[in-house]
Amino acid sequence: MSGGRRISEVELHAFVDGELVGAEAAEVEAALATQPEDLRFARAITDLNDRLTQHYAPVLDEPVPAGMAALAARAARGERRWAPALPRALSITAALLLAGAAGYAAGALGRGEAWRQPAFVANAFSAHQVFVPEVRHAVEVGAAEEKHLVQWLTRRLGTEVRAPELNEHGWKLVGGRLLPDRGQAAAQFMYEDATGRRLTLYVRKEAGLMDAAFRFAERGDCAAFYWIDRSRAYALAGRLDRSELMQLANSIYAQLGGPSAGQG
Amino acid sequence: MSSRREAVAAEIPRLRRYARALVGDSSEADDLIQDTLERALARLGQWRDGDNPRKWLFSILHNLHVDGLRRSSRRPPHVGLDSLGPEQSAPAADGASGGDLDRALQLLTSDQREVVLLVGLEGLSYAETAEVLSIPIGTVMSRLARGRDRLRTLLAYGLENDAEHAGLRRVK
Repeated sequence: MSGGRRISEVELHAFVDGELVGAEAAEVEAALATQPEDLRFARAITDLNDRLTQHYAPVLDEPVPAGMAALAARAARGERRWAPALPRALSITAALLLAGAAGYAAGALGRGEAWRQPAFVANAFSAHQVFVPEVRHAVEVGAAEEKHLVQWLTRRLGTEVRAPELNEHGWKLVGGRLLPDRGQAAAQFMYEDATGRRLTLYVRKEAGLMDAAFRFAERGDCAAFYWIDRSRAYALAGRLDRSELMQLANSIYAQLGGPSAGQG
Repeated sequence: MSSRREAVAAEIPRLRRYARALVGDSSEADDLIQDTLERALARLGQWRDGDNPRKWLFSILHNLHVDGLRRSSRRPPHVGLDSLGPEQSAPAADGASGGDLDRALQLLTSDQREVVLLVGLEGLSYAETAEVLSIPIGTVMSRLARGRDRLRTLLAYGLENDAEHAGLRRVK
């Protein structure tokens, strides 16, 4: 135990995986020179990685199956078919089907699903549940000043934000507000239908995450679809049934994801 | 667009390797890759310039895999011991110990298996793994430690004795 503190297992994993640099790496190297247990542990991890690599290496040399080759070839011939509008609509339909199944299964599982749900979804639910019951102060800036609202939120979020048009579905914009979300700004747009039901569209900049297909979440009697598109995370939450919510989410995705939204 | 498609096609062998290790069955793995490619090719337009194709494709694969697990959620989360017979396919067999590796991997939780493979087999950094799986880096590290621990126990003591060993840790 001479010379320095005990190196943790997590550090040994990180060292083997090449995650440590400079002084951190030097400290582990020094420990390996004097601590046989640490050295054995590090070697065991290295061996495990080597074993995985060797065992599955032959897969890399297998010929690509005809189905996959055909898929790539079809895409290569029909380049225009994959261009913006139509394929987006098609892919979102597929994603929605998946999301429906995922929502069902998540309910059946009833456990272990929370970690897969990004933090912004919980914030969206909270925002909805806190502000929707408000009659007089539901929003900070009303729909009458939509242009100002959108410019303000775009500036504060650091990414282009728009309030989608849901009139044709019977929902009109009430307005919006700025919200804190883990040290960043987030936006809430609120919509209302003729019966007084309310809907929240939550938007946040998510530069660190990859685009993600529609997913379904529930909290209490409130449901949400959420997705990530071009560095923006969206959650559409309300006390609506899934199919109605899905239709609205689809419409919003089509409007915000369209060519005019620009590349992020 | 066409260079993007080439970049996607170039990743097919690696995607297949990962999927094979992840789901343990070669035809199921290829189905997963087929779905991944279809989704990826339909979304080439959403691929932002500068995005790493490998990370993007692994993210799509991960999401499809998780969706698949949810759909089949009536099954146990991983293969039980008694369902593992000698007839279990050993996709890239390199002798008896190779089959053990396939089966031992299937005894990890899906969460652990993904992290162990993305880091140990695919060589992704912790940060890339965290992005692919949409989880914090700390979760990557803890799943990695637990998953490797379990895998080593399974390989060292044999698959049958798994339950009798709490884990093969460094001697304190």
